Amino acid sequence: MSRHPFSKKSLTAAITPWLFLLPSIVILVTFLAIPIIEAFQWSFLDYKIIADTSEFVGFANFKEIFSDEMFWMAFVNTILYVAIVLPLNIFLPMILAVLVNQKIRAVGAFRVLYYLPVVTPIVVAALMWKMLYSQDGTVSNFLVTLGIIDSPMNFLTNTTTALIAVAFITVWKGLGYYMIMYLANLQSIPKQVYESASIDGANGIQQFFKITVPMMVPSMTLVSVLTIINGLKVFEEIALTTNGGPAGATTTLVMYIYDKFMNLDVSIASAAGLVLLLLAIIGSLIQMKLTSGREDDLKA
Amino acid sequence: MKAKAQTKKIILYIVMLAICVVTVGPFLYTLFIALKPATQGIYDGLLPANPTFANFVDAFYKTDFLRYLLNTVIVTGIAVPFNLLFSSMAGYALARMNFKGRSIVLTLIISTMTVPFQLYMAPLFQIAGELGLRNSYVGLAVLQISTAFGIYFMRQAFLTVPKELEESAYLDGANRFQVWWKVAMPLVKPTLISLAIYTFTFTWGDYLWPLINTTESSMYTLSIALAQMSQNFDGGNLKLISAASILTTIPSLLIFIWLQKYFISGQTDGAVKG
Repeated sequence: MSRHPFSKKSLTAAITPWLFLLPSIVILVTFLAIPIIEAFQWSFLDYKIIADTSEFVGFANFKEIFSDEMFWMAFVNTILYVAIVLPLNIFLPMILAVLVNQKIRAVGAFRVLYYLPVVTPIVVAALMWKMLYSQDGTVSNFLVTLGIIDSPMNFLTNTTTALIAVAFITVWKGLGYYMIMYLANLQSIPKQVYESASIDGANGIQQFFKITVPMMVPSMTLVSVLTIINGLKVFEEIALTTNGGPAGATTTLVMYIYDKFMNLDVSIASAAGLVLLLLAIIGSLIQMKLTSGREDDLKA
Repeated sequence: MKAKAQTKKIILYIVMLAICVVTVGPFLYTLFIALKPATQGIYDGLLPANPTFANFVDAFYKTDFLRYLLNTVIVTGIAVPFNLLFSSMAGYALARMNFKGRSIVLTLIISTMTVPFQLYMAPLFQIAGELGLRNSYVGLAVLQISTAFGIYFMRQAFLTVPKELEESAYLDGANRFQVWWKVAMPLVKPTLISLAIYTFTFTWGDYLWPLINTTESSMYTLSIALAQMSQNFDGGNLKLISAASILTTIPSLLIFIWLQKYFISGQTDGAVKG
């Protein structure tokens, strides 16, 4: 690099990188860094946003949320919701990836059709599923026909099914996104591995469990952690279908934060937001640990 | 042996089509509801008895659909080019330039990707108000005009550009800006297109930020308008909402189908190389 012309003009060379970074830094500091720092401050204040007065209260906001039954309900619901989405997100998109990796005609069209939910606006997705889940909707009719449920029901107004129903909207919307991640991993598996397995007489299903699944571990960990991080932030699927109901059955942490924000309890909202951040950091640390292992896997 | 392979292929197609019913079915279901005439109940049969475009016409004339569409187009039109430009500038500096503080900047940018939006939305709401960005197009696009994800994504792409190509451009007398714009940018086109689709999809469908930063209905984006309409979820309205939902989704679908070749293969190639 020493021979290119700018090393002579050292001042220009020192300034150039910062000129490239300047627009992004201005925007990210103003609309990301400052709000994040303020959120930390607010969580230790009793901040009245309209009057613009504040008072330092230490950990009082945290004490308040930790003694709030609604917070713990939201906490448990968030964990439950992630627990429902996680196994489905790990396995369903993997199966789709294997299917669209076949050398058959029109496979490109299938990839596009499986990806469509990803590019659908979340509001539209929520409205569509709200109709599908209604008492006279297709899901109910279908399950009655199969004999899984006895009589038509609305899945979003039943305390037992509501969380599962909204979790399925999330899974539906993410299928294509995670499929592409698996597809990338799948295409990096050497074909010879499958060829020698075929010669040894392994059939397609045996090959899937003995070769594909173990080789997909790197992307499985990536998908798991993305599911956890994104799942913790679930909002639209719930706000636009059940709005946290029935009887709080789908109130998640973000619904809780949003309610506090709408009531202008911004300090409480910030404290609950920090709990959410803590959970996200734990998720990311796991990701870093697993992805550093992942590189070794790929080299091996 | 050939017959067996044929049977296997047919089973494969049946399974793949069955999955299409799940991924595409909800769109068709909504489309069918949107096509049902006033005389037919929403849940009265799956298919429209006498298909009509009346609900689509109503969506245009009985709501401010064109206004919402225009708002959404403008906000997305601000977000996509600015995010591509600013993120690729920053990403290039972080991939290709040696300067003091580079690793700190990169670490800070990556670590913000973990922070949930809901943590800082209240302070952001206040800042947007103070800067006069409430109910404004720039205010709505503010989350997407440069993103930590975009910078990281572009940086990873620039790392794969062969250094020799840039070196020879420098020997020809090009400056840093020219090398970035004329040599490096064309080589990361698939990544730029992927980022464009991500930014488009996010901005077009974003809900929470427009919801809190928009207090005047004249500034609603399509997502907010749809959500507001659905607050009065009753029979007649539902067909109109279905029609509006389909209309809202069409631009996303067209752009995705137009660019999917770059997108799906681009994303895959990048991952394999990386």
